[in-house]
Amino acid sequence: MISISDIEKSYGNAGNKNQVLKRISLQITDGDFVVILGASGSGKSTFLNVISGLERPDSGSVIYGTTDITKLSDGALTQFRKDNIGFIFQQYYLLPNMTVEKNVRMGADLAGNREYREMITAVGLEDKTGKYPGELSGGEQQRVSVARALAKKPKTLFLDEPTGALDEQTGRQVLDYICRLHKEYGFTIVMVTHNQNIAEMANTIIKMNSGKIAAVYTNEKQKTAYEIGW
Amino acid sequence: MVVGIKDALKLIGISIIACCAVFVCTLFLDYNIDIAAMKNEITTAGGITMYNAIVSTGKVVAAVSGGCLAITSVIMLLFYVKNYIDTHGRELGILKALGYSNFKIAKHFWVFGSSVFVGCALGYGLAFLYLPSFYELQNAEHLFPEIKVQFHLSVAFLLVGVPAISFAALAVIYACFRLKTPVLDLLKEKCAYKAAVSEKETKDMPFLKELTRSTVRSRKSFVFFIAFSAFCFSAMVQMSMSMTDLSSKEMAVMILTIGLILAFMTLFLSLSSVVKGNTKTIAMMRVFGYKHSDCSKAVLGGYRPFSYIGFAIGTIYQYALLKIMVTIVFADVGNVPEYSFDFTACAITLGLFIPTYEIAMYGYSRRIKKLPLKSVMLE
Repeated sequence: MISISDIEKSYGNAGNKNQVLKRISLQITDGDFVVILGASGSGKSTFLNVISGLERPDSGSVIYGTTDITKLSDGALTQFRKDNIGFIFQQYYLLPNMTVEKNVRMGADLAGNREYREMITAVGLEDKTGKYPGELSGGEQQRVSVARALAKKPKTLFLDEPTGALDEQTGRQVLDYICRLHKEYGFTIVMVTHNQNIAEMANTIIKMNSGKIAAVYTNEKQKTAYEIGW
Repeated sequence: MVVGIKDALKLIGISIIACCAVFVCTLFLDYNIDIAAMKNEITTAGGITMYNAIVSTGKVVAAVSGGCLAITSVIMLLFYVKNYIDTHGRELGILKALGYSNFKIAKHFWVFGSSVFVGCALGYGLAFLYLPSFYELQNAEHLFPEIKVQFHLSVAFLLVGVPAISFAALAVIYACFRLKTPVLDLLKEKCAYKAAVSEKETKDMPFLKELTRSTVRSRKSFVFFIAFSAFCFSAMVQMSMSMTDLSSKEMAVMILTIGLILAFMTLFLSLSSVVKGNTKTIAMMRVFGYKHSDCSKAVLGGYRPFSYIGFAIGTIYQYALLKIMVTIVFADVGNVPEYSFDFTACAITLGLFIPTYEIAMYGYSRRIKKLPLKSVMLE
């Protein structure tokens, strides 16, 4: 369980302060598939960064089980991310001078996962292990990023607009891989997107507006990546 | 304008190297020309022998220092041009896509030559100010008549004008060559990151070890610069220690100062570029949970062996140079002390080099620790 209480976050100095997150509280159940929806500037990416431990809030708490990550030192927070968190970004952020296999090992070595090749196979890239990111299509690069994130066996996977840079067909394919792996491994997913249709794949949908949670829905009938509109 | 003066300012390393090279060359070339003008007035046997030795020394020092530093500056310039094109591929690609020819874009790279001009002009100016003291120093035993400092336009043009024009031309030609890259590759900032080792060789290598190797492989120019920095430290510090006996304290201080400036500037510029060039990798590693010490080791650790190789080459270089000077150039001059390899100087220099290098590494490791995690997401 992730318990988020009264999170506040601002940027800028006293005279020109921009409050991005305004006392947000939320609870995320283990194994849940949460989608955070919102327009550009609604604070959804900042919220994701704060609850994943990439940024510290100005106030409030983010508690994983019994650990409040806002109270952890930098070293302890790094260790926490190592043990618990996986990330997938819109721009993939693969290491350009490393092959697919080595990029996936980046995640796998952290968890001592020697079976990382299974993850490469799971995303359908077993015949591209020796290729470099520059030799792959956008969809393939995002699949490498999925394999890399999951090879470290995270308890929670954070995704920031994972299909934002992909076309419809490739986007569906990547989401399908993520969903299948979610069902197989049972980790928690927190995904940020501005695409309302993608939200239909989640259990829980959180709508954000101007730094606040505007609404929280529970989705009874989850759709697959190929059933949603685009 | 594609490349501005602001970009040229980043070439401060070249300016400093050019400054040092021109400083040394001006001292010896001007002195050689001025002393040659009064060759007929030198009549004593000791004076003639000393004259020949000084002229030969001037030629050797100007050729070796000037040549060595000029080659380094050329390598540095080519590296900067390549790096600029690699990191500004999108802007340059758009210009090419709009129809600008390679030359039309490349001609703006002449600005990089201005850093050489600044360095050379500064080096020449400083040397000219120091010339009176240098002349006195060279004639400390009063073997020659008093020599007055003269301004030689040919030397000024050779050491300031020619390098500035040559480097500006070189930057344009090299940029023109690099811009032959297809437009799409420029737009995608697609770099050739292929590994130089076989996939088989690295297949079971852990990620961190492979990252260390690939970081070094993908930025080979830094291997040269970091080794060069250690080379300067080693050669110049040891040489300055020997110079106290062989020449004078002033000469020793001059060599030591130039050596340390070159060594530190090259090391700091190289390490800054290594860290800057790996910002995304470091940020991504830390996002995933790698400790900052792992990141530092992976990004900076691969260069350590090359710095020690540079140190060893510097030791051999200074020994060979001084041996040649003493046994060949000064062969006919009396009272020149015997020169043999100075193990104490070598040990002291190594003793200074190791903590200095490691402190610099520690400093950059701290810098890596302070890199914001969000830097990976700011693009």
